[in-house]
Amino acid sequence: MPDNIIKILTSYDTPLRACVTGNEAVARGAIEASVCGVFAYPGTPSTEISEVFHDINRFQNHPDSKKAYADLSARPLYFEFSVNERIALEKGIAYSIANQRTLCCMKNVGMNVASDALMTITYQTIGAGLVIVVCDDPGCYSSSNEQDSRYWGKMASVPVFNPAAPADACEMTRDAFALSEQIKLPVIVRMTTRVDHTRGMVSYRKIASNELAPGFERRPEHINIPARTAAAHQVLVEKLEGDVVDRFLDKHSATSPNEGAGERPLLGVIASGVAAAYAREIITREADKGHKVDVLTLGLIHPFPAKIVLEFLRDGIGQVLVLEELDPIVENEVRILAQKHRLNVEILGKDYAGLSVVGEYNLDIVGEALARFTGQHAMKPQGFPAADYEKHVQELPPRPPALCAGCPHRATFYTLKLAVPREDSSVIMCGDIGCFGLGALPPLGMMDTIHHMGMSISMAQGLSEALGAGRGGRHLVALVGDGTFFHSGIPSLLNAVYTRANILVIIFDNRTIGMTGHQEHPGSAHEDKYESVELESLLRGMGVRFVETIDPFDIKSCFNTINDAIAFDGVSVVVSKSPCLFCEEFEGEARRGRRVVVDQTLCNTCHNQDDVELPCSKVVSARNGLSKARALLVAENHIPSSEQRCPANICNHGFLSSILAGDYKEALEIVRDKILFARVCGEVCHRPCEFLYRADGGVEGRTDGSGIVPIKRLKEFVSTIEENFNDFSGQKPTAASGEKRTHRVAVIGAGPAGLSAAYDLIRTGYDVTVFEKEKAAGGLLRFAIPGFRVSKEACEAEISVLRDLGVRFEFDKALGRDFALDDVADDYAAVVVAVGMGISSTLDIIDINIPVSKRYAAIEFLREFNDNTLRIEPGARILVIGGGNSAVDAARAAKRHDAKSDVIISCVETRDEMPAFEEEIESAVREGIQIIDGSDVEACVAGSGDGARVMLKSLNGQKKAWDVSCDYVITAIGQRGDRTAIGQGGLKTNTEDRIITDPAGGRTDTKNVFTAGDITAGNHVSVIGAIASGKRAAVGVRQRLEGYDLPYEGQEALDVLNSPQTPGRRPPRHSDGRLDETQVARDMPAFEIFQACAKCDHCIENFGCPALIKVKGRVRVDDFLCTRCGLCLDVCPNDAIQWAT
Amino acid sequence: MSASQKLLVAGVGGQGVVFLTTLIVEAALCADLSVASSEIHGLARRGGSVVSGITIGENTYGFIERGGADFLIGLEPLEAQRSLPFLNPRTRVVIDNRRVLPYAVNAGKASYPDSRSFIEYLQKNTQQVVVIGETDVNLSPILSNIHALGTASTLDGFPIPSEHVEKAIEVVAKERYKDENLEAFRLGKAYVTR
Repeated sequence: MPDNIIKILTSYDTPLRACVTGNEAVARGAIEASVCGVFAYPGTPSTEISEVFHDINRFQNHPDSKKAYADLSARPLYFEFSVNERIALEKGIAYSIANQRTLCCMKNVGMNVASDALMTITYQTIGAGLVIVVCDDPGCYSSSNEQDSRYWGKMASVPVFNPAAPADACEMTRDAFALSEQIKLPVIVRMTTRVDHTRGMVSYRKIASNELAPGFERRPEHINIPARTAAAHQVLVEKLEGDVVDRFLDKHSATSPNEGAGERPLLGVIASGVAAAYAREIITREADKGHKVDVLTLGLIHPFPAKIVLEFLRDGIGQVLVLEELDPIVENEVRILAQKHRLNVEILGKDYAGLSVVGEYNLDIVGEALARFTGQHAMKPQGFPAADYEKHVQELPPRPPALCAGCPHRATFYTLKLAVPREDSSVIMCGDIGCFGLGALPPLGMMDTIHHMGMSISMAQGLSEALGAGRGGRHLVALVGDGTFFHSGIPSLLNAVYTRANILVIIFDNRTIGMTGHQEHPGSAHEDKYESVELESLLRGMGVRFVETIDPFDIKSCFNTINDAIAFDGVSVVVSKSPCLFCEEFEGEARRGRRVVVDQTLCNTCHNQDDVELPCSKVVSARNGLSKARALLVAENHIPSSEQRCPANICNHGFLSSILAGDYKEALEIVRDKILFARVCGEVCHRPCEFLYRADGGVEGRTDGSGIVPIKRLKEFVSTIEENFNDFSGQKPTAASGEKRTHRVAVIGAGPAGLSAAYDLIRTGYDVTVFEKEKAAGGLLRFAIPGFRVSKEACEAEISVLRDLGVRFEFDKALGRDFALDDVADDYAAVVVAVGMGISSTLDIIDINIPVSKRYAAIEFLREFNDNTLRIEPGARILVIGGGNSAVDAARAAKRHDAKSDVIISCVETRDEMPAFEEEIESAVREGIQIIDGSDVEACVAGSGDGARVMLKSLNGQKKAWDVSCDYVITAIGQRGDRTAIGQGGLKTNTEDRIITDPAGGRTDTKNVFTAGDITAGNHVSVIGAIASGKRAAVGVRQRLEGYDLPYEGQEALDVLNSPQTPGRRPPRHSDGRLDETQVARDMPAFEIFQACAKCDHCIENFGCPALIKVKGRVRVDDFLCTRCGLCLDVCPNDAIQWAT
Repeated sequence: MSASQKLLVAGVGGQGVVFLTTLIVEAALCADLSVASSEIHGLARRGGSVVSGITIGENTYGFIERGGADFLIGLEPLEAQRSLPFLNPRTRVVIDNRRVLPYAVNAGKASYPDSRSFIEYLQKNTQQVVVIGETDVNLSPILSNIHALGTASTLDGFPIPSEHVEKAIEVVAKERYKDENLEAFRLGKAYVTR
């Protein structure tokens, strides 16, 4: 059996010296007054008083105690944690009326709740002694205000004791019972946090014998009707004026030091509450200094001890300093008294020497005031040398309290954070009092309002009504703890149901009143003496139609339930039920033996690059991590990181994460980290990244089959936001290394491949010169792809970045014509040949039969179209031969050049097998271009006038033929290398006149010559193929010149792209038109790439479990704090947090 | 009243500041000293800063003024540093140097102070400093408070003889933890900075 309980229940004839807290002293005082019933609602700093009685109650009703401590448990005390303070006081009043001594305990704001009962009982009568302990909280350590509850005594006309230390608290509580019983009024013992939680020496004395028998006597005072009220008020006034009160006033005031017959000093101090203890300590300590101050301490402050104070002041005191925390209640009474009695005394108090109505006093504040009052230095100086002192006390990181590791509230808040995006203010979260109020603080930050107990539900319905919530997409959510819901949330919820409010109420049901140390409430009664109320039935009984109970540790189901609840029209209530770690029902033991660890290879690592020095524009941000985690729950399409397939190795994970977080600029920068041509790729890339090439040779959207992630369209979206596009400031050199800059690298050919090599090389510190045979840079992007597919201005702007980075351009310099490869290879440390395939393949049958002026190679035709130098007769009939993008581009260009022209495409492939993009083909058809697929040129003859007739035969085994009359023929059947350019310097070429290289680095057999782009044998002829091979050549150059030893990061994807096994089937088409922001915001979550960029700190920034700590920049689990709840395993978007094996 | 002695205990919620305070008060009672203490609880469990004061001598109430501490038991270096204003050149100090990182530090929003420089400052400017090294003690964190008290009890002029502390442990500690508490206290007593 606990010793302290036995001690506190024992009566001592010879006083026992104990050292106990003020709260325990109050309990002992009540016991010495033979209290019979205690009614309380927990609330810091009052809670420990009720806990003493809670423990006593258990002890006295325990069968063992009945045997072993028969005397101590003979007449068991009644104790309850009432549902709220008002009920505690009302029931307490009744208990007293039944002639049983009663104690009610509550914190400061609890008195406000109970005040209804207090304000009328004074006009009536009680029975046995009724004492109300109210604990104020100067400094607001744990309260929502620092109200001065002494006013309640004045307002209700009940006596107020104000103890200064535990010894007082015991004695005054005991006397409060006596006074209450004699004048038949409740009496308040008003404590403060400091006195509640201070331990001091207290004498345990004899316990009064309880001579009162319970009973109820019919008395007129028990019936409060207006006719009797005025007379009752008169009775009340008289109760406070009698001799009885005077006797107690005398007893609880003291003058010290009692100097006896000596000459009285001119200075006096009147002190009450803990300020009296401060004054006593300081004045005693400083007594030897010779200054004299008389001190009057007041223990019973209402009714005001006027006679005593008058006597103190009359006796020669010239100046008096009043010391009391919070409001100047005693001080004002002293001022009234002095005025009434025309005393010539100066009264000092609030606003003197830093004494304030705000906050808590302490030894330093009171010491300072007393020093000034007595003209002395009362406090000893600290004595540290000033040097360095400030440095050590300044800017220490704060350590605010936080929800415990493993707390179910954090789990609920986390899911709520995922379910209810807080970026916009469309959802307002109305919080409440309790542990879970810590959810308002970072990193959770999930509350917009916190007022007083139970206010959340009223706040939500009031705001909802005023803001027209539900209609404008705005939602109101009330968050309330289980204890608070039973305390004062029920009437408010009833009001919400009754007034047809449209709100969501989330009850954080952790099965206890957590904040104050885990007390019982009606929803989770663990002891047999209480009946437990089933929350769901209660809610349904109140008329709530949407009631769901969730387990906060099941994130996915919570997420869905919260979303359903928020969408519900009307009052919805979600009960998030999981016991507090300190509850008996918490199954902590079951979790022992497991350990949580962080796999460092998955945490804060990058799946996208081996070289950590490569640029990454991903900004690690809380918002970023949160959107990723949210997508983890809702995404339909998950792509593992290992399947990222951009040949240029654009970080699609980071890219999509940024878009999810709404940071479109960052998304653009992530693309620009890897390529110069973000916009161009957004417009024309054939998007191999969007498809999964299966081992069996099939191809599908890179999803679970339900759709494709529109990476290209998103790229177009982010790069067509003009403001972002035009800001190229993020494209900076990444290496400042001076030694690399001594290397000069020549790039021959300013097409996408050469420029991409130049981009990577200049950024890594090389001195780059680009030689180009044309007068401008861009290659096929500039000359071949028509302006209606790629924005020439944007392309030019992207290329201009190179100039800003310091790349030199030498135009009008053609390899083989104007300079020799050997010379460049001697002059430069390395050479990248990216001259493209300058020669168009042609058909002899066309060349022979059609005059030069009537036939074009597609590239030349497009070039003239782009240069605006195309001269075609109006209304011409044009036949395009070929099925690739050049053919379709040329056909569409011809149609755009002259809408009246009649354009036909003939290609050997079937419609489905045409290599041109599906979207382009469809556009062509829509624009009126006829496609004769599966056809080949059989003959060609001169036609009428200047025209020709081209005979086509079917290749599909059909006996079908076409006789096409045309004015012009455009051939688009592919390109080959230009031997004038590449037939030198020992370069090896293949039958297509492309240069043979080492596939891993684009290196030729010539020591320092590398190739990139279409001219490289085996390279995929596409924009992204060219870009990727340019990047790969840059890596080859670095490997040679600086001993860079990592392979090209996009090699795997590039190999897939270049593989002859990669099926030629066209990927499914995208829908038409550009994405707009609304579409992106709406559709993005479904397209999240799972296991995205692992750089996040999400668990710390958005979840914030204290057991997740950062040691030397790495996330780790504090094994001591970890409760093994395992929630962080689901929180981590990278699967890095795991059970230890 | 130069006979009064004031002890400050500073730590983090969960480290057992409140328990240690109760224990020291009990020990003082065993030694028949007049004792008082002051602490604020309510949120102690939730990882915030926790400070308590213990005063021995008549007319003291557990309160410590600026510069008023004769002894500091710092259970965590940052919290010890936070209590610097309450120390003076005669203060004797024990600091358990094992860090508990505040959230702001974890989240990279603030940096942990330079404890070494703080300890050097104390060594230069106060009477006696004993630092319990981060890797020196192989003891469950639950017992580090008792361990630190054991070390503090060896400080010159520590007002409570250690046999009374041991007796208090017998009274205050739960039955099943008594032995390990006593063991931790004795280890603390035998602790010498390495």
